Amino acid sequence: MRGVRRLSAVDGRAAKLGLFVGQKATDAAALVPELTSADTDDEADAAALAALVDWCVRFSPAVAPDPPDGLYLDIGGAAHLWNGEGAMLADLLARLEKNHIAARAAVADTPGCAWALAHFGPADTIAPAGHTAAHLAPLPVHALRLAGPDADQIARLGLTTVGQLMGLPRVQLTRRFGPSIVRRLDEALGRCEEALSFRRPPSPWLARLAFVEPISTPEDLARVSVDVARLLCAQLEREGRGARRFELCFHRVDGAALTLTVGLSMAGREAERIGRLFAPRLETIDPGFGIEVVTLSADGVERLGDAQGELIGGGRGPSGPDVAPLVDRLANRLGDGRVWRDEAHPSHIPERAVSRRPPLSPGAGHGWDAGRPRPLRLFTRPEPIEAMAPVPDDPPIVFRWRGLAHRVRRAEGPERLAQEWWRLAPGESGPGHVRDYYRVEDEAGARFWLFRAGLYSAPVPPRWWLHGLFG
Amino acid sequence: MTYAELQATSNFSFLEGASHPGELVEEARGLGMAAIGVADRNTLAGVVRAWAKGREIGQRVLTGARLDFADGTPSVLCYPTDREAYGRLTRMLTVGQRRSRKGECRLTGPDLIDHGAGQLILVIPPPNLDEAFEGSLTRLAGEFSGRVWLAAARGYGARDLARLARLDEVGARCAAPMIAVNDVLYHAAERRPLQDVLTCIREKCTITEAGLRLEANAERRLKSPAEMARLFSRWPRAIERTGEVAARIGFDLSQLKYEYPDEPVPPGKTAIAHLADLAWQGAAWRYPEGLPPKVRALLAQELELIEELNYPNYFLTVHDIVKWARAQGILCQGRGSAANSAVCFCLGITAVDPCAPKHDVLFARFISRERDEPPDIDVDFEHERRELVMQYIYERYGRERAAICATVIHYRPRSAIRGVGKALGLTEDVTAALAGTVWGSWGDGLPDDHIRQVGLDPQSPQIHRATDLAAQLLGFPRHLSQHVGGFILTRRRLDETVPIGNGAMKDRTFIEWDKDDIDALGLMKVDVLALGMLSAIKRSLDMLAADHGVVIADMADIPHEDPDVYAMLSRADSVGVFQVESRAQMSMLPRLKPREFYDLVIEVAIVRPGPIQGDMVHPYLRRREGTEVVTYPAPAPEHGPVNELESVLGKTLGVPLFQEQAMRLAIEAAKFTPEEANGLRRAMATFRHYGDVGVYGAKFVAGMVARGYDPEFAGRCFRQIEGFGSYGFPESHAVSFAKLVYVSAWLKHHHPDVFCAAMLNSQPMGFYQPAQLVRDAREHGVEVRGVDITLSAWDCTLEEKQPASPLCGGKAVRLGLRQIKGLAEEEGRRLILARAAGARSLEELARGADLSRRTLELIAEADGLRSLGLDRRAGLWAVKGLSAQLRATAGAPLLSVLGGPAESQVELPLMSLPAQVMEDYRTTSLSLKAHPCGFFRPLLDQLGAVAAARLKDRDDGAPVAVGGLVLIRQRPGTAKGVVFITLEDETGSANAVVWKDVFTTHRRTVMSAAFLVVHGRLQRAGDVIHVVAQRFTDLTGHLARMKSPKGPMAGPSPAPRLVRSRDFH
Repeated sequence: MRGVRRLSAVDGRAAKLGLFVGQKATDAAALVPELTSADTDDEADAAALAALVDWCVRFSPAVAPDPPDGLYLDIGGAAHLWNGEGAMLADLLARLEKNHIAARAAVADTPGCAWALAHFGPADTIAPAGHTAAHLAPLPVHALRLAGPDADQIARLGLTTVGQLMGLPRVQLTRRFGPSIVRRLDEALGRCEEALSFRRPPSPWLARLAFVEPISTPEDLARVSVDVARLLCAQLEREGRGARRFELCFHRVDGAALTLTVGLSMAGREAERIGRLFAPRLETIDPGFGIEVVTLSADGVERLGDAQGELIGGGRGPSGPDVAPLVDRLANRLGDGRVWRDEAHPSHIPERAVSRRPPLSPGAGHGWDAGRPRPLRLFTRPEPIEAMAPVPDDPPIVFRWRGLAHRVRRAEGPERLAQEWWRLAPGESGPGHVRDYYRVEDEAGARFWLFRAGLYSAPVPPRWWLHGLFG
Repeated sequence: MTYAELQATSNFSFLEGASHPGELVEEARGLGMAAIGVADRNTLAGVVRAWAKGREIGQRVLTGARLDFADGTPSVLCYPTDREAYGRLTRMLTVGQRRSRKGECRLTGPDLIDHGAGQLILVIPPPNLDEAFEGSLTRLAGEFSGRVWLAAARGYGARDLARLARLDEVGARCAAPMIAVNDVLYHAAERRPLQDVLTCIREKCTITEAGLRLEANAERRLKSPAEMARLFSRWPRAIERTGEVAARIGFDLSQLKYEYPDEPVPPGKTAIAHLADLAWQGAAWRYPEGLPPKVRALLAQELELIEELNYPNYFLTVHDIVKWARAQGILCQGRGSAANSAVCFCLGITAVDPCAPKHDVLFARFISRERDEPPDIDVDFEHERRELVMQYIYERYGRERAAICATVIHYRPRSAIRGVGKALGLTEDVTAALAGTVWGSWGDGLPDDHIRQVGLDPQSPQIHRATDLAAQLLGFPRHLSQHVGGFILTRRRLDETVPIGNGAMKDRTFIEWDKDDIDALGLMKVDVLALGMLSAIKRSLDMLAADHGVVIADMADIPHEDPDVYAMLSRADSVGVFQVESRAQMSMLPRLKPREFYDLVIEVAIVRPGPIQGDMVHPYLRRREGTEVVTYPAPAPEHGPVNELESVLGKTLGVPLFQEQAMRLAIEAAKFTPEEANGLRRAMATFRHYGDVGVYGAKFVAGMVARGYDPEFAGRCFRQIEGFGSYGFPESHAVSFAKLVYVSAWLKHHHPDVFCAAMLNSQPMGFYQPAQLVRDAREHGVEVRGVDITLSAWDCTLEEKQPASPLCGGKAVRLGLRQIKGLAEEEGRRLILARAAGARSLEELARGADLSRRTLELIAEADGLRSLGLDRRAGLWAVKGLSAQLRATAGAPLLSVLGGPAESQVELPLMSLPAQVMEDYRTTSLSLKAHPCGFFRPLLDQLGAVAAARLKDRDDGAPVAVGGLVLIRQRPGTAKGVVFITLEDETGSANAVVWKDVFTTHRRTVMSAAFLVVHGRLQRAGDVIHVVAQRFTDLTGHLARMKSPKGPMAGPSPAPRLVRSRDFH
């Protein structure tokens, strides 16, 4: 939540109200108080565009994304399937609209011309073959996908349309604005090829086993899950990679697909281990009339050094016993979020001084401060106690917890912690929100962490609490 | 119980201490402390404030500093025991600061050893008491035997008692006994949130990220002696030792005896004899027709007093500086209370003739026997050449004995809300929006509706807390900067009186104390100030001599009392004239109708917060117009003569207008003693920082009422004093400024061409922008010509007219290259040199002056190639082609460049006039071709807006609308929420008044529009016309249409700003 928030996109209605891209969010809110806005999510946008690119494969296999909000479709040789470009365009736009995706599209001989028409031309233009130049000419210079100050300076020369640019001597243009402007013009006019980067094939880390006879016994399921894992792991090993998530999919003869997923705390590629992680959950798979294909795909694939492989396979590494397999088994048995590691978090408030981290994540290195002793067991909720202590801030002499009286033999403190004022409502602060912590030892040698909430001088009498146990 | 807090950190330890020094001292007094030591990190910047507060309320304040070292030596608190030790401390800090960057101080252990004689040292233990620390402690204790203690604080940590026991033991072992401190960061517990925020600002993090960098509790406040004794109950000696340390400190800031440097005098002469010689010689120069007896008497009287109070050297110093500046041809003029001195007039320091009619000189205002305060002479110099004067002073007195005062840069509303907002984790747009709503000062917080209007929720705890904390942060020092020109000079080494640090500028040093500190200590200083108008006047005089053959050596030689000049001012024809060009002054001029010099003095003084807040303006105007009888407020007969105020208020028709008159009222009417009057004057001068003026208020009003004065009049008088407090404007000051008003008005009237060029060359200065100055000059018949690559110099120049116009005898103004935004001066100067060397064509100029592509493009885009036969577009096309040639043939012989391949002619579309004007504004901030509003006249007609020039034909109260570019927005603090807008259309400018309720409704439009139609009613008072706004039409978006008559394809875009309005708060 840093930096100036600006509008990154506006819809038609917002534009009519005078809002524009790049406007400060607060200015926009002042102008249109009832404005609803949502935070930009670039990653989600990119993912949505990628999904749209994938979806467009139905029209043509050659789709190229044009981030942030466009895509190119090479429909050469595909349009006849829709009975022509017009029908194809109409179908595309209709389907997009049905999915509430506002879109502008154009068909032209070159990607550059199609881009120009889609962005600056009349709605849904189809420029017939050979008419590229005529369609480009009236468009503004910015339709040539020019970047930076050059485009502004060209406009300042009075050259507002592509047609005016086309009429100028190319040598003079190049001399003044460099080769890129002429190249953009040539691309749009089809005088030179433009290389688009078409979409990549889907994730390649997939292994597949097909059976002549459908299988259905639990033993078979267990065996094939390890077999298919071996296939995939062999591939991963060849590439020097490992994965954090694996998805096992059983394809039944009736067409249903049943999936199981497991996650690893560290990227791995040991087939037996992966198989073992799936084993306890295979009983949930209903094979029906039999399973004919099993696939295993890997996700969260990352580079994995050989040393790492040895560490996991070979027992003891340099940093003590290897707990990764144990953590994996615990986590897959108990569920996500049930296994964690405690780490010191820089806060004065005891409840906030500990944070839960993924079990095998590297530590942030804050460490525990010996000057601020904290109990090994900190109660989530402090328990009320009765205590007798000399005013104003001496440790208690005796206290009663869960019905038992404890006589204090040694004590240290107080450690005074004031509440975090910025979490309170304004005006709500003062000595009532102070805790005085004491480390005390009773006659039996048990050590407690007590605190008194509030001061004796405050209008509200203080109360005593027990917040944790040492040792 | 005796306890002295020896470790208190004030907010002069920037972004650490969360209380003002004065607050700490007051709290210490309230708690009954024996003494308090305010010790900031490596600085003495806050000690004078603490000491002054202590002197005022009777609390002993110890002067010292906390020293942090760069070499691992543990930090110490250092308290000098006597004057000599204090001098060593300031020298040590000077050494540390001079070897560091501005604002830093790098000290090492050896520095402490070198300067340690006579210092009491309290060592501050680190968190970890290791052997290295014990070693350092033992070494220090050995070095300063019997003067080293170990400072121990109990901050309510988990293991405090164990740590104290260990410190006690370590202290005993190392011969550095443990002493109790509380390591104070703020005077009271409620400052903890602010201290946390300061920590966040320092650590550049938000409050939620700050974690353990914050304090765990609110215990680092001042605590009572009894509480401290309880906390250290096991170690009572630690408490007793604080009293012992305080008792050993014999130094107090009052011991800083000030010794003014001796000035060289002719052999056999004393300083006063030399000064007298100079004064009598000067008198002969000032009064060639013979010395008036009044002046003779004044001189004798003043010289006697100067001798008695031992100030002759000070006068000799100022005289020497002024004489030197004159010899260099640098214009200068004294201002302020020195204008009350006949000696200063005769020495040429001030320009105010003590014999001038009406102005009665009162030397006592400048120096008086009763007021034991050093004189304060402020001299204005041309702002561009003041640096020379300052270097001269350094050279003459040396760096050890001359330095500039500091100015404490405080948190202002905007910086405070920004800092706090960031610390609380508000996003930048939210803080920026909050900061943007701050118009002028704000007292108890931001009004909710302002917050709502920028789209934020004032009920949100975050916002509420931010504004609350920002209000607390307001007025905290942020850093020290050098004062604009307050020099302090000493006979002994200055660094033995106050630490001297590096300035941001090379070769600049300044002391740690500001003007108020200097005043509080009674030191003498000379203000070497810079005034832009003096530069403009100097340029005018030079240009007059060079271009018109009119030689005027000194401002004093300009013909006096020219009725045409007064007539011009009475028409409010004052754009560019010093001081009286603002909207408020312009609406006053036709009412006041100045006819003589003293009227200008009143004009300057009357449009000020003092008279306005005191409601003195209208009574004065009515009396001047003869519609109200001149009477003098009088006491009841038994309390004094009826005419006791006649001598005080006579020249201002019974209405107090000047600061001095308000002071005289306090003495004559409210019967203040001289000490009380002095206290009131001091409170007025520092009113902005401290609020003690109110104490005098009750006494002032009560005093006058008790003597039978009208309570309402007494109240008004005091409100006026409060107004003066914000912006003191004594009569002598007004007289000095009025001189410049007259001089600049004379130049404007008689030589508008010269005046225009000189003003443009002195930008930025004054109230108006180049566009308005040029427009005004053209309205006065001056021909202004555009920037051109072969004709313009860097500055604006005068050119012959062809043929010489019979209408206006002047010359034409050629705009200089300086008008082109973004053009580097160095390249501009090279271009002129190349031209002088004979370069004529674009290629020759580019080559000869080695101009960058950017510079040539800037000139072309500013339409500066006309003399080469190229318009803006053809010029840019040519320049772009040319620079490619240059680039392609870098290092090739010259001939091949000049003989590059010929290009075919390219026809570029013609640029429309609106687009030309728009480009003119974009590149040079003004257009000589047309005014942008002219293109929108049909639209303005449609909206019912009349031309600004036609407003005067309308009747008072008539419904009217006027539209134009917004030049100025003002919301004076004295006008109760009223906003004034100055608009400009193609015919002239118009003023609109927006009352508070209308402003509240249309706040956003009023604050942000660049092109605006104001609908309302005409209000006329004499020749002064305002439109009282009722509603607005914001046409800002239409400006974008000028660029492209066809309309852009893309959606709405931010409208270009032709003119950036100047907004005054």
